[in-house]
Amino acid sequence: MKLVDLFQDWLTQSPARSRNALLALLAVLLVLPLGLDRYLTSILILVLYFAFVGQAWNIMMGFCGQLSLGHALYVGLGAYTSAALFHHFGVIPWLGAIVAIGVCVGVASLIGWLAFRFGISGTYFALLTIAFAEFTRIGFDHFGWVGGSGGFFLKVVQQDQSDWLNLRGGPTMFYYLALALAVLGFVVSALVLHGRAGYFFRAIRDNEEAARAAGVDTFRYKMIAVQLSAGLTALAGVFFAFFYNNLFPEQIFNMGRSIEIILAPIIGGVGTLFGPVLGAAVLTLLSEGLTHVLAATGHEIPGVKQILYGVALAVVIMFMPHGIWPRIAARFGFERQARPKTDASEQDHA
Amino acid sequence: MLEVQGASKRFRGVKAVSGASLEVREGEIVALIGPNGAGKTTLFNLIAGAFAPNEGSIRFEGREITGLRPDQVCAAGIGRTFQIVKPFADMTVLENAMVGGFRGTADLRVARRRAESALEALQMQALRDRPAASLTLPDRKRLEVARALATEPRLLLLDEVMAGLRPTETDRMVEAFRRLNRETGITILLIEHVMRAVMALAQRVYVLHHGEIIAQGEPAAVVKDPKVLESYLGAEAFE
Repeated sequence: MKLVDLFQDWLTQSPARSRNALLALLAVLLVLPLGLDRYLTSILILVLYFAFVGQAWNIMMGFCGQLSLGHALYVGLGAYTSAALFHHFGVIPWLGAIVAIGVCVGVASLIGWLAFRFGISGTYFALLTIAFAEFTRIGFDHFGWVGGSGGFFLKVVQQDQSDWLNLRGGPTMFYYLALALAVLGFVVSALVLHGRAGYFFRAIRDNEEAARAAGVDTFRYKMIAVQLSAGLTALAGVFFAFFYNNLFPEQIFNMGRSIEIILAPIIGGVGTLFGPVLGAAVLTLLSEGLTHVLAATGHEIPGVKQILYGVALAVVIMFMPHGIWPRIAARFGFERQARPKTDASEQDHA
Repeated sequence: MLEVQGASKRFRGVKAVSGASLEVREGEIVALIGPNGAGKTTLFNLIAGAFAPNEGSIRFEGREITGLRPDQVCAAGIGRTFQIVKPFADMTVLENAMVGGFRGTADLRVARRRAESALEALQMQALRDRPAASLTLPDRKRLEVARALATEPRLLLLDEVMAGLRPTETDRMVEAFRRLNRETGITILLIEHVMRAVMALAQRVYVLHHGEIIAQGEPAAVVKDPKVLESYLGAEAFE
């Protein structure tokens, strides 16, 4: 009932052109794989994957102001949980995903409780998230049941038919799965942001003491933000496991992965709804495009992707500290609030 | 309505508030005055739950609220403002007030209605869609009040909301509080240095000095009390 209210609120409150643009984008994304080859499809899968996981991170940092630099932890735990259940017990990934969410929410609750109960915040909280990701990585290096440092592998099958139940199939299936996740991330983010929790999250982000005085149980809402973010990120992990079929602790729990996750929302616009999606598209297309051009001209430069990420980050921080999306939103009239009160904006509210 | 009894708060041995007692009755407007550093804001923080007192008790509407968290005190029906304004800078004026408006409800419409009427009481509707970061200091002070009002408190704690305002703005705010008090019956306890506002608003005044209540009574009588004059001007002035 409340979800319906929130959805209605979104429909009536957001400017018509942003609503239409969003639906048009979704329509394009739905038919796009029909005309694309495997390579381009796999790039779009990456875009959607980073859009989703960036949105999950954005709920915690962008909305609620709690910086996690260890989100690879939840990707890894989600991946290993669902993959291990599938491999050892034949549990289908859809059920495995529920267990994975449970595991990640549990671990996030532990980290959140430790931090928020003992007043660890800001940089120290970020360090705590890194610490958990790092010792989990080391732990999995020695966790023989899932292959330890030697890696954990799912059996790759004939990729031509799509087995949705067991998530065995080709790029097109994973494309639609990634699209579904990205849409899920967007809908969850929008509902959260426009509901009470969103107001409370942003209040906590802007001034925790004032939020408390205005009646916000800040401990509870910070915990909710962390749990929600971790639960969604667990799904990204499940996707990762079944898409790539191989898991190495050194890779999946790597600090670099955590940074990779947060680049898209930072470049697109932290705390905005569409920023993580835009950031993921810009970053992935730029880096894949560059790699492609270099390869076509016979160059192969190791680490060029990382250099590009660094340059993109520097450019955005210097010229658009709030990210690319707020600029675009203001330019094309996609934004919902913070505009001067005019007759036109009054009509949007009506 | 509010009873503070023998409240003390020490910071590393320094007594900021020491054995302070005060009472605010329903529907009253009471001022808490005193020189800088007298412990007024600390006493507010004890009432609002920002700190727990080392000694003493605080009761609100007959219920013990000593040691409750700030959000629990807010839920009990006490709204507060901060002397050093703390706006939610990246949210609009309306959204700032809506955070308070969600007290005890998850309904957006209820929160928006409460926020709108709080903004209206302070004549801030024209600013509703402006980001709080873009407000001037006097408007930020008013926003503090609006956010607290949106929680629909029965007791409002105002910490120097008129400091830095021009006399005409002060008069407007005094008028706003008078109207609220008259129309909604809201009880107000305010810390204030602007005597113009204190004299116009308060039915009773408490004077805090070195963490202790040294005088109380009607505003006109209290400002003539030698102990009060001494606390403000220093004992030398009388020698």
